[in-house]
Amino acid sequence: MLNIRIVSKLFDSGMRVVSRRRGLMALLMACCLGLGSGVAQAEVPNAVAPKGTHSGEHVPQPIDFPHDIHADINGINCMYCHTYARRSKVAGIPPTSKCMGCHSVIATDKPRIQQLTEYWEKNEPPRWKKVHDVPDFVHFTHEKHLQRFVFENEGMNVENVDQVCAFCHGDVKKMTVAEKTKPLTMGFCVRCHEANEGPSDCWHCHK
Amino acid sequence: MSGNDINRRDFLKFMGLGGAGAVTLSGCDMPTTVTLEEGKEEVVSYLAPEEYVIPGIGVWYASTCQQCPSGCGVHGRVREGRVLKLEGNPDSPVNAGVLCQMGQASLQGHYNPDRITKPMVRKGGNLTEVSWEEAIELVNSKVGAANGKVAMLTGAMSGHQAELMDTYLAKIGGKDHFVYETINNAVAEAVNAEMFGSAQPRYNLDKAGAVLSFGADFLATWVSPMHFSQQYAKFRTGNRGVLIAVEPNMSLTGANADMWVPAKPGTEGVIALGVANVLISKKMVDGSVLPVDALATISQYGVDKVTAETGVGGDVLVRIATYLKERSPSLVLAGASAQSNTGGSQVVAAVNALNILLGNVGKTIGAEDAFPVKSLAPRRGSSAALAAFAKGADAGDYEVAFIYNTNPLYSAPAGLELNGKLAKVGLKVALSMFPDETTLAADVVLPLASPYEDWGTQVPGYLPSEGGLNVQQPLMRPLYSTVKGLGDVLLVLAKAAGAEELNQYADFYAYLQAGFAAMPASIKGGMSDAEFWSKSRQKGFVAVANSQGSLNVKVGDLAQVADKAGSDFPMHLAPAARAGMYDGRNANLPWLQEQPDPITKVFWDSWAELHPSTAAKLGVKEGDFIRVESAQGSLEVQVYVYKGVHPDVVAVPMGRGHDEYGRFASREKGVNPLKLIGGDVDAKSGELALYSTKVRVSKTGRSAEMPRLGGSESQVGRRLVSTVSADVYRRTEGGGNNVA
Repeated sequence: MLNIRIVSKLFDSGMRVVSRRRGLMALLMACCLGLGSGVAQAEVPNAVAPKGTHSGEHVPQPIDFPHDIHADINGINCMYCHTYARRSKVAGIPPTSKCMGCHSVIATDKPRIQQLTEYWEKNEPPRWKKVHDVPDFVHFTHEKHLQRFVFENEGMNVENVDQVCAFCHGDVKKMTVAEKTKPLTMGFCVRCHEANEGPSDCWHCHK
Repeated sequence: MSGNDINRRDFLKFMGLGGAGAVTLSGCDMPTTVTLEEGKEEVVSYLAPEEYVIPGIGVWYASTCQQCPSGCGVHGRVREGRVLKLEGNPDSPVNAGVLCQMGQASLQGHYNPDRITKPMVRKGGNLTEVSWEEAIELVNSKVGAANGKVAMLTGAMSGHQAELMDTYLAKIGGKDHFVYETINNAVAEAVNAEMFGSAQPRYNLDKAGAVLSFGADFLATWVSPMHFSQQYAKFRTGNRGVLIAVEPNMSLTGANADMWVPAKPGTEGVIALGVANVLISKKMVDGSVLPVDALATISQYGVDKVTAETGVGGDVLVRIATYLKERSPSLVLAGASAQSNTGGSQVVAAVNALNILLGNVGKTIGAEDAFPVKSLAPRRGSSAALAAFAKGADAGDYEVAFIYNTNPLYSAPAGLELNGKLAKVGLKVALSMFPDETTLAADVVLPLASPYEDWGTQVPGYLPSEGGLNVQQPLMRPLYSTVKGLGDVLLVLAKAAGAEELNQYADFYAYLQAGFAAMPASIKGGMSDAEFWSKSRQKGFVAVANSQGSLNVKVGDLAQVADKAGSDFPMHLAPAARAGMYDGRNANLPWLQEQPDPITKVFWDSWAELHPSTAAKLGVKEGDFIRVESAQGSLEVQVYVYKGVHPDVVAVPMGRGHDEYGRFASREKGVNPLKLIGGDVDAKSGELALYSTKVRVSKTGRSAEMPRLGGSESQVGRRLVSTVSADVYRRTEGGGNNVA
């Protein structure tokens, strides 16, 4: 046992995660699963980003919404449009009125914007296809995750919220329409909960 | 490992990781078919949301439950434009925040996959989907040619829809609006009106020290169960009141009683007079409050006679009398099994006389508050109305009949022979949400919006103090664009019939808004029209000032009607009403089918309760099928052997055994006891005597496991709940040792 304690101590010193037990767990996982060291990304302090990838299908959407132009080129914060994420369990698709707030004047000559304007004038929101979903028996809340990793996270700069979103949604700002790049399976959730000391009671998610 | 902080759980994790060398949580990485879905479901944003709307967070709106006539206020949680959950409205004077299982399950009616979505007209014998225009045109032309020979057959109604229905009926020259409810309080209403001058007096269980219920299942189905369950909670706290139940088979109320006395249906009046006799002869009360004739009648019901007629011993009568006297004021109630008999009026008269004798009038029984706007007042249901409709239909009095919110082809007693009589009506127009027996027999089917998609108002049939007009507002937009609200349909029909005063209203919403503006100032309480309208919708009801009147007591003949003797059919049938299936209207709600009965724990099926001694005589045990035969027909049903039923009674609950009522009702295997019931009526009120039917019970030899939760009635000596026998409890008043 002594060896393990020493190793875990050493490991702790290199980690921002507080508990030694968790450090031990992470180390064991690192050794046994070959997952790498689990060091947090620089932009999100006090966090271990979840591991795992998924190669999602391309989902055709009614309008090829370019996330890259908005979030990357123009540097718009994710929460500007997905404004409900910090207040509700769902992040919400921005209301059409929000799109039109800018696009009644910006880029009105672009075909995609004309498509959007058509929807707006018909009083009909576009019927988007859901890319990220969890089963109905899973209670996932955006609000709690944003509180933990952004608003109640000491040293976290809210400008870098996209790094937190990327935990589960991948690097959306490099995509046009969103694609699923994380598995969003229970294992994916639970490993991240263990690494970040999230709640581990069954009923937290299955209620 | 002592001194180490690795606990058992971590140790196991460690062993799992290192020992097997496999990936932990591997099962959790298996994507389910659901998580695999990408781009299958749609997600639609708001176009321009209200500022307070946040997807994922519910907004609560007030409305009124329509699942039974008691009119409980509800708050509905609405998320992303869908109603997801109902709770009782905490401010409602009717239910004060609670809601029963039927109210909770009413959402399954709203989202029911069997809802009718398109108007239908019978063409060549089959119901065929047509446009609203075509259906309404057909109705209008037939009504126009009917020359006033039009009838309305509805469930309990009140408020602005009832007012509009009156306007329409008057316009087309019809005068017959039959308000039919299988589960009603109509015999008592008739007798109360005569004896107290108030059809539905106000009861205060919370002010009583003892309650004697003759089959009044006030915790589940009688009059206003959620209201009385709140009173009951107060009655049982503090100085705990005593509840005594006398009934043919144990109801939920009976199961809560301190003392449960089995009685044959129809003999409750004899028992009531027996108790009155004890009270007077033992000088516990002053008999002079009753007239001489009544006292003379009571004096005939001495202990020996009562015991001979009912099997209830003198000691029981004395104990009941003592409880009622010592814990005065008390309250005596008569429910369905007591009322719904050939001598039902006399039973209620005896019960009322007992209340008068005990001095309860003015203490636990008060005058009702009449709702000040007469045109909105409740039309409480009765079964005499159905009998009257059947008679009129049989005589060819109706060219057109509108049927709304009632399913008489299922619930009419066989003795009424309604099928043949209804067929004589030229055009049967069903305003309905579901394909039930009556709707599928109609010639025109107009699909209605659900109660949570429609506007309306209701005045509860039992108006509690501070009660008033309930507002029913839509909790979401209709699921189907091709359904219409009742008020809107009536408005279209009435306009077509030439009601010019209604032309100013574009829709029923406008009519309702104008109706609120026209309320008397006393109700508006100084608010402007706009403020009153908005406050009413916000609160979910409009309170009216309490005009506590007094009751005028008048006692008539109390003599009881003797039971019909008959050797062919020796047993009584109790078609018991249960919260859940109720009168059968809830058989299409899977939550309620799945909910085990509180007494027998049976679900998705019917059962027959038999006393162990009767079952032994018959040679049947739980799960055996018996045949229950009356002069009207027979049915086969599984036996539940149970002490909570009178030995001469077989109880088969009503509500199951539908021929038509959508996919969920067709999955259950139940039977309909109403099809065994003859056409007997209570002589005085004309109410159908549902508890007067005599039956014969025989063994079929078939047997199967009963579909019920919980396999054992015994604790097998494990002392899960310590109990004492009633005798021990009585001797020690609960103070003795708990004996398992």
